[in-house]
Amino acid sequence: MELSLVNNLWVIIGTFLVLLMQGGFILLEAGSTRMKNAGHIAGKTIFTVGISSLVFWAVGYGFIYGEGNWFIGLSNFFYGDASFAGEGLSPAIDFMFQLVFAAIAMTIAFGGFAERAKLSAYVVFAVLFSALVYPVVAHWIWGGGWLADHGKQDFAGSTVVHLTGAMAALAATIILKPRIGKYNKDGSSNDLAGHNQVYTALGVLLLWVGWFGFNGASTFGVEDAFFGFVILNTQLAAAAGAIAAMLLVWALTGKADVPTTLNGALAGLVAITASAGFVEPWAAVIIGIIGGLIVVGSMRMFDKAKIDDPIFALSVHGTVGVWGTISTGFFATPELSTGMDWGKPGLFYGGGFEQLGVQIMGVAASGVYAFVVSFIILKVMDKMMGGLRVSEEEEIIGLDLSEHGSYGYPENIPNPNDTKGA
Amino acid sequence: MATLYHKKEMTSGLRSYQAIKVKREKTIKEAENHYSLNKIHDEVMKDTVELAIKNIESEQGKIPAPFAFFLMGSAGRSEQSVWSDQDHGILFDGKDDLQPYFLKLGTEIMRGLEEVGYEKCDGKVMSSESRWCQSITSFEEQIIGWLDEATWQSLRHFGTFFDSRVLIGEETYLEELKQSAFSFIEENPHIYKRLVDNVDFVRKGIGIFGQLLPEQSGSHSGEIALKTTTFFPYVNALRLLSLLEHETVPQTIERFKVLEAKYSYLKEYQVDFEELLAFRFEYRKDAKTYDEVHYLPLSQLNKEDKQLLKYFMKKGYALFYDTKSYVEEACVKW
Repeated sequence: MELSLVNNLWVIIGTFLVLLMQGGFILLEAGSTRMKNAGHIAGKTIFTVGISSLVFWAVGYGFIYGEGNWFIGLSNFFYGDASFAGEGLSPAIDFMFQLVFAAIAMTIAFGGFAERAKLSAYVVFAVLFSALVYPVVAHWIWGGGWLADHGKQDFAGSTVVHLTGAMAALAATIILKPRIGKYNKDGSSNDLAGHNQVYTALGVLLLWVGWFGFNGASTFGVEDAFFGFVILNTQLAAAAGAIAAMLLVWALTGKADVPTTLNGALAGLVAITASAGFVEPWAAVIIGIIGGLIVVGSMRMFDKAKIDDPIFALSVHGTVGVWGTISTGFFATPELSTGMDWGKPGLFYGGGFEQLGVQIMGVAASGVYAFVVSFIILKVMDKMMGGLRVSEEEEIIGLDLSEHGSYGYPENIPNPNDTKGA
Repeated sequence: MATLYHKKEMTSGLRSYQAIKVKREKTIKEAENHYSLNKIHDEVMKDTVELAIKNIESEQGKIPAPFAFFLMGSAGRSEQSVWSDQDHGILFDGKDDLQPYFLKLGTEIMRGLEEVGYEKCDGKVMSSESRWCQSITSFEEQIIGWLDEATWQSLRHFGTFFDSRVLIGEETYLEELKQSAFSFIEENPHIYKRLVDNVDFVRKGIGIFGQLLPEQSGSHSGEIALKTTTFFPYVNALRLLSLLEHETVPQTIERFKVLEAKYSYLKEYQVDFEELLAFRFEYRKDAKTYDEVHYLPLSQLNKEDKQLLKYFMKKGYALFYDTKSYVEEACVKW
């Protein structure tokens, strides 16, 4: 009984840490974008956490964990259960832990909306994504769906949370098109630099600490203090990702670009999210390094493809989310996979290509589903709402003023409606 | 002896800036190399300044004192590309109350040069600005003040001033000011170290994998910033040595020539710099804007030319660091 209560306590602490990651996203996104949109970014994050929480309570949890079929759960809607059996997690704590993950996926998806989407588009998509996109993928992998039957490994959500969010962001980015001024007529791209690298760095650090709850509490208990091992792997991968990204961009461009370094740390964290409980620390370092290197290439690739990704959500959560998921197919150890009755060992531990194949299949199916369904939803919204994007004038004024009526930094930005003299 | 500027010095007889602009566009296409190109620039600017003088004299009366109109920056060094911006000043031999007249002249020159095809200087290094249009006495005080202050910004002003030559008027004025500067630095040798510090940042054009490092974003993405990555190390190195040796010629090539008697290591670099000027002339002679001349798209370069560009950069860095060491060693002895 006492151990069970400690387990519950640990998971609720993890829940708080993951919810606090929204603060990290506020700083990360606001710092990575221009100051005329800072208040909007902060405010919409809180607002959409609200929406995703209510939708998750109403239908999201039921679609993931309810009794259903290989595709979706179909019970436990409008969830509320005060019972506690004395063992395992209290249903309410389990629910809360799952809820904050869903909210994170939502916030990642909104990275693709940054600096040009209507607030109403956020509202409608928050409802539909939280009901129709995230829960389906989560059910497939964590809720006893068809990928769970194949032994798909995703310790804390490289696929479920990060890739799903990023695929929705990709669909949004494609439909919304690049921000004004991002690309020149000759095809070259401009750096619409974020307004505050300190915010961005603090955001990354807050996310980093929050990730200890994200991955660490995904052990769902404190038995054998396994969460410590998971946190160790998380720390090593984040550190390796930051260093690898910085060294690579330094070597390629001659400048140790700060945003790229920060994205490297996030890449390490995203990459280890799938594998934190399946691999040894040396492998966590390799996984983090590769994540850090991939994110640099991915940022350049999207830019060359003229896909405007203001806060690099596609690269950090998407491309690296894919790598993180596949990495267990290489590095999962026998003790931490078959030994724990979760999939098979990876290629480097004599598991052959079986687990690797499952991981690739899982990432492809989840990615395609999240992208296609998000794309359809957004296209329909685009038609029905008269466009997802604010007008050119509103975008130039900034979403703080056009969508909310006041600037995040009122002292620093003159109100364009103030006209003095003739 | 100084004389008042006289109309007899006027040579072209072109009556409008537009006519000079047409001449510029025609003649510049005929330039065969870097040297003939800079000769054409000099002629065009001379015509423009002469017309500006004529215009101002007709409005404000005759020029009230002997003066020198001088060029700075790339024009001062005779290192202009097809397009160039304006960097110029006026020194006059008279009291400070004559400054308003010469500022009007400077403004007319600035306007004329702009119409003819020379963009205004972003940093306002133009004779329309009071900092660059003064009596000899005030200008001397200003230069000594810059050196005495020895801040990063004041030494930037001095470096700009030092790459100068007279285009029209009394040549001795500029020479005298440079000699005054040499004397002051000689008495305060710590300034040499500050002058080195002022140009110590060398923007790298080659990465650790030996690759060229183009611009990463903006309208010049994929292009090499020729001026900052390739030219500046040569230009700055030779300016430092000229200051050390009290040589007043402004052209980097001429500086090589006068300095290599004492610094034999300069000989090989002079050849490299001449080839670099020819390289830029060849690649940028068809540039359409001033902005374009400072950048070289990597896509235009074949493998051999990329190697050659890297070679110019490496030699420039070597020259700069060798020179820096030399000047710093000399500083230690004082």
